Amino acid sequence: MLLVVTYSRTARTDLRNICRAHEDCVVRQFGRAALFSGTEFGAFQALRLYEKHGLDVQIERVEPFEPSDVPEHVRKAAESYEAREEPATPYKRFASGRDLPDPDQLRGVDL
Amino acid sequence: MKLRVTETTYAGTVIDLRTRAVDGKAIAASIRGQRTLPIVSCPEPPSVYAYAGHVHPSMGLRTRTALAAAARSLGHETPQDDAIADCRERLAELDCSTPDLPEPVDPVSDVTIDGLQEAVATHRGRLTARRAVGADDGAVQADLRDAAMELSERETRRAAARETRELRREQARAYRDTLEERRRLSDELANRRRCARATLVDRLSDAFSQAIATVPGSVPDNPFDADPVTAALAVLRVARTPAPVVLETDRFSSPTAASDCLDAPLVRC
Repeated sequence: MLLVVTYSRTARTDLRNICRAHEDCVVRQFGRAALFSGTEFGAFQALRLYEKHGLDVQIERVEPFEPSDVPEHVRKAAESYEAREEPATPYKRFASGRDLPDPDQLRGVDL
Repeated sequence: MKLRVTETTYAGTVIDLRTRAVDGKAIAASIRGQRTLPIVSCPEPPSVYAYAGHVHPSMGLRTRTALAAAARSLGHETPQDDAIADCRERLAELDCSTPDLPEPVDPVSDVTIDGLQEAVATHRGRLTARRAVGADDGAVQADLRDAAMELSERETRRAAARETRELRREQARAYRDTLEERRRLSDELANRRRCARATLVDRLSDAFSQAIATVPGSVPDNPFDADPVTAALAVLRVARTPAPVVLETDRFSSPTAASDCLDAPLVRC
């Protein structure tokens, strides 16, 4: 899929118009961004905006995501942290002393 | 004040130009320094003149904004002023010009590189085989050289394409970060200005109600519902008015009465 983000009022208006006129290629619309289908037609609509508004339009490729795409220890960390009993405990403190990864360690590793 | 219309110079606190064919709009613009003719010499008008400096029947008025400007003319300040100035300064410092991204370089596919690497390996194998049997290897050497050269060229192009891509993304991201910052600051500025305006309007609302009741015109239940001319007159009555007000309405019995009511120098057109 293609994520289209607009950075000016005119680009935002045109994005909204395209979303209205071409619902078939719009997966989801947010305020000033939208998710277009990953088809040549989706790319065509995204590129129209880029041609007209240049860098005020950002286009990114978006891949589908499932929790199972992430290593086990990351999933386990999220799961146990959300099940914590003290809501005010920051993750760093929560992780230390348990068999959970340190946040800095997580930050340094590409998915 | 001194005012020069064609050949005649007028002077005084109240100037009546009803017998002259003069455009009130032009005089008001001259007073605000947005025009050079007709020549008007007078003290500098505060910002409230941009809203209420020219009173005429077809005018519109953003009453609250005008009243806030009137409060400013009286020297009122608000707790938001420092933050507003700070926002303005930071906005002015932002460089939002669109960067010139380097031209994109066509990517070289991995398949192409793989194919060429394979070709180089094949030629190299053939060369070794030929040498082992002592056969002529000139043609194979040439093939190997060509393939190796092409491989190296493509690899260079691939590296250049990657580098350019990264550079384009970095510059685009930096530009969009600036746009985001501008958006955030503009929102903040608008919020703070709204807040400051509300504070100023609040401080002058009693004086404004009294002024609405004093100036000629109908008095609505809510003073902020007054028609634009009445509201403008009330705003002027409340404001500090060192510069002449341009008046194009018959509400007052005479220009002098108007000047007295508004406590302002006046040009009647």
